[in-house]
This record gives sequence, structure tokens and C-alpha cells, in this order.
Amino acid sequence: MRRISGRKKREKLLAFVLLLPVLIVFSVFMFWPLIQTVWLSLYDWNMVSPEKHFVGFANYTAIFQDGSFVQILKNTGLYVLLFLAIDFAVPYLVSCILAFAVKKMTAFYKSALFLPSLLSLVTAALIFSWLFNPIAGPLSKLFALFGQRFPNWAQTNGLVIVVLSIITSWKLFGYNLIVLLAGVSSIPLELIETARLEKTPPLEVFFRIILPLSSSTGIYTLIITIVWGLQWVFTPINILTAGGPDKGSLNIIYEVYDQAFTFFNTGKASAWGLVTLLLFSALLFLEFRYVEKGIYYEN
Amino acid sequence: MKTDKIGRAAIHLLLLCLSACMVLPVVFTVFSSFKSVNDIMTNPLRLLPERFILDNYRTILDRVPFGVIILNTVAIALTVMGFKLVTSCLAAYSFVFLRNRFSDALYFLFICTMFIPLSVTMIPNYITISKMGLLDRLMGVALPQLCDAMGIFLLRQHFRGIPESLIEAAKLEKTPHLTILFKIVLPVAKPAVIATGIIFFVNSWNEYVWPKLVLRTEGNYTLPLAAQAFIGAEGSADLNITMAMATATLAIPLVLFLIFQKFIIGTFASSGIKG
Repeated sequence: MRRISGRKKREKLLAFVLLLPVLIVFSVFMFWPLIQTVWLSLYDWNMVSPEKHFVGFANYTAIFQDGSFVQILKNTGLYVLLFLAIDFAVPYLVSCILAFAVKKMTAFYKSALFLPSLLSLVTAALIFSWLFNPIAGPLSKLFALFGQRFPNWAQTNGLVIVVLSIITSWKLFGYNLIVLLAGVSSIPLELIETARLEKTPPLEVFFRIILPLSSSTGIYTLIITIVWGLQWVFTPINILTAGGPDKGSLNIIYEVYDQAFTFFNTGKASAWGLVTLLLFSALLFLEFRYVEKGIYYEN
Repeated sequence: MKTDKIGRAAIHLLLLCLSACMVLPVVFTVFSSFKSVNDIMTNPLRLLPERFILDNYRTILDRVPFGVIILNTVAIALTVMGFKLVTSCLAAYSFVFLRNRFSDALYFLFICTMFIPLSVTMIPNYITISKMGLLDRLMGVALPQLCDAMGIFLLRQHFRGIPESLIEAAKLEKTPHLTILFKIVLPVAKPAVIATGIIFFVNSWNEYVWPKLVLRTEGNYTLPLAAQAFIGAEGSADLNITMAMATATLAIPLVLFLIFQKFIIGTFASSGIKG
């Protein structure tokens, strides 16, 4: 008895030791920063001065009263909507097609659609800065063939967010597709075949069978789309527009960078950071409720 | 029957168009990098250059210390990949084969890290790294990213697929756990481990935001930082140079993808299926 419990104890210790490196790195560079950000959000500081002034919630009231608060949230909302349309809805449909409607060339489609996922967002920004170049880009030439003028997107409110979202989506699409395809493919084929024999319309098959049976993968992808999309778009914003025109392409992540490293206002930046965290916490709740639940109850 | 055939053709056409949207930008970029600036400006819709030239690459070599930049990028990517692989393998082994209530709690804690945005960690990590004297040092880029929650989940997923009887038998023979990890688990999960390593390498290779905050002098730049210097808001006037720089940054990830695409796609596929 005692020997067994001794071994159990050693196993428990080993289990912890193997997790320790990760725990240390995450504590120093993830969890501690989280606490620090909360703390910094209560101070007025410029990152270099030796003195920090405690201001309570003044940074929060400042960002709420700031004229750009609503605009930044609106921009962020538009980014999220576009990401969900391009990188969630479309890949969901494409994954159904690849799983159930075509048999030939699926490996080719998978590779082709996944390819941009491994490329850098800097590369994507470089490539699309040429594709969408309003004077010399191929798209502007195509537009010219039809007698249209290609808009100067970087200077056009709204459109600038669309283009930046497309650049980011180019990379995000493939990963989401592959994940969704795995989820959709795990649905028993007989279910789909039976529905087809009964002449159920495709849309009904999608909403009644595919969507519910792949919901956990679907929700995972939905979460990833928002969490990664909003962070990834940072790079094209930084390289191509720096948040402009005016504040036309800022989102909540970029605003933190701007406040901290352009205006040296760590208090306001941290307050903005916590607004983002609040949004992501809601997604974390979804993850635990719908995606990780299987793990929790098994054994 | 005939409508069925037309429907199928339409679906393939749709998929081909979508594939073209993904692949053509890369193909055009690579070919444009061999064009003169005039050629790019006047014939943006034509794939092949009028005349293949290497001048654009020569200009890059003249303008930036390219060799040093490549070495910097490789050094960071290899360091990050090595550490992430070791820490992820150990953690995934613990989560799968040494599971207890405490490690379940840690698993949830690790998931939480995926939801801590860049905007929350950016400022404190910048302060930490500057206090450690690592600003403008390659080490300062690598240090905060020696672990990876996503990698742990990917490997955990694949370790779970290993038949338990294999592990139980080794345990009964009192084989030490590290031996089980290196002699049984890693060989069985080899394709997933390799794919995860490549993903770590490529992600680090591609990284922009954190290196941009840490690195200052051109001699310490990584490839994406050097590439960024070649364009501005309206797109640079030197489109030919931009395209050559884009080709340079995408070359290594592209080659790795073409060689290992099956492993990589297969490994990623499992990341969304939990439980």
C-alpha cells in the first residue's frame, strides 16, 4: 500500500515538474502583465518618468469621454463582422462542399486555400499594397478596363477597414477552413445521404444536421476568428495606415499601441487594454461552456 | 443527371476561383520581383516579366545588411522553436499520461492565455524586457515566447491518440516516464511533433509586432521588420523592390509548406476538435 502511494506521490510531483517551465514563462509574461496592466490603468505615467501619479479611475472616464471612443468601438465591430463573414461563414460553407459535394481535387483545394496561412502578415501587407495600389495596381487596371476608377481606399473611411480585413482574412481563412473541415467531416456520411434521399433541401441539411453536429468546432472557430482577427489586423494597420485616415482604421488593440508607444500614455493605454480583455473574457466563457466541456466531464 | 453535372462543374469553378484568390497573389508577387519598375507599372495584369532581371534583389542587398538580417531571423526562430517544442512536449505528456485534478486546473489556466490580448501584455512586457537590459537584443524578442498554449493543445491532442495499453505496459515494467516520452510517445507522434515544430518556426519567422517593439537598430532587424521599411501608406513607389522583399520574406515558409503540407494541414485539423 505504502509503496503504491509513494509512487502516486512521485507521479504527482513529476506531473507538476513537467508543467513548471510553461507555468513560469506564462506567469512572467502573461499573468503578471495582466496584473500590472490593471495597476497601470490607475496611474498617470509616461513610461519613462520615475514618478507615477495615482489617478484612480480617471483613465477610464477619460477614454469613455474621449470623442474617439465610439468610433473605435464601431471600427472594431465592423472588423469583427467582416472577419466573421469572410473567415467563418464562407469557410463553413466551403468545408461542407469539400466534405460532401465534391470528391475530386479536394487535396489540391485544401493545399491551395491553406497556403496563405503560413505566410507573414507583413508579406500579405506588401503584396496587397501592390494589388490594391490605386494608381499602378492590377485591380486598378482591371477597373480601368471597365471605365471605373479604383478608389483610394487608404483615404476612404469604411473602405479602409474592408481592405485591411481582406488582407488579414487572406491568412486566417485557410486555418479556419481546415479546422471546420475536420469538424464537418466527422459527421457520419449516412446522415447526409439519408437526408439527400429524402430530398431535404441543402439549406435545411446545413441548419438541421451539419450545424448542430459540428457546433463545438464551429464555436471554437468563431472564437478564434474574433480573437486572432482583431490581433492580427494590427500588422497591416501598422504598416499601411497607422490607424488612419484620421482614426478611420483604429481598433481596440491598435489604440493601446498608439496610446502607449506614440503618445506615451500608459494609463489610458492600459485602460483600453482592459476593455479588450473584457470582450475576450466573454469569448473565454463561450470556449469553456461549449468547446472544452467534453474534456471536463470525461473520465 | 445533366443538371447534376452542371451543378458539380459550377461548384468546381467556384472552388477554383477561391483557390486562385489565395494562390495567385503569391505567384504574381514572385514573378513581379523579377520585373523592372516600368514593367510592373505598365503591365500589372501580365504574369511573366518582359525580361527577367535580378536588379531588385541587388538593390535590397545594397540597401540593407541582408545576410545579418537572415541570421537574426533564423537565430530567433530556432531558439523559439526549440524551447517551445521541449516545453510543449513535457506539458502535453503531463496532461495526457500524468493527469490529476491539479493539472486539470493548470490546463484551464493555460487555455486562458490564448484570451489575453496583445494589448494587455504589450506594455508590461516591454517594461520587463527593458529592465532586463534586453531591448534591441535578439534575446529580448525570444524570451517572452518560449512557451505556446496552442502547441501544447496540438500535441496533447495527438498524444491522446496513442493506445493506452502501450503506455500501461511500459509503466508496469517500471520504465521511467522520460524514457516513455522519448522512446514510445515521441516516435509514435513524430509527424505531429515535426509539424508542430515547423509551425513554431514559421510563426516566429513571420512575427512582426513584438520584434518591432523590441528591436531598434537595423543590424538587429528580422526579415519582416526589414521588409516593412520598404513600404508606406500609399504603397511605395518602388513596387519592384517591394515585390522582391515580399518574395524574400515568403520564400522559406513557402518551401516548408510545399514539403510538409500534409503533416501541417493534418496537425492543424485536429486543433478544433476537443474532448
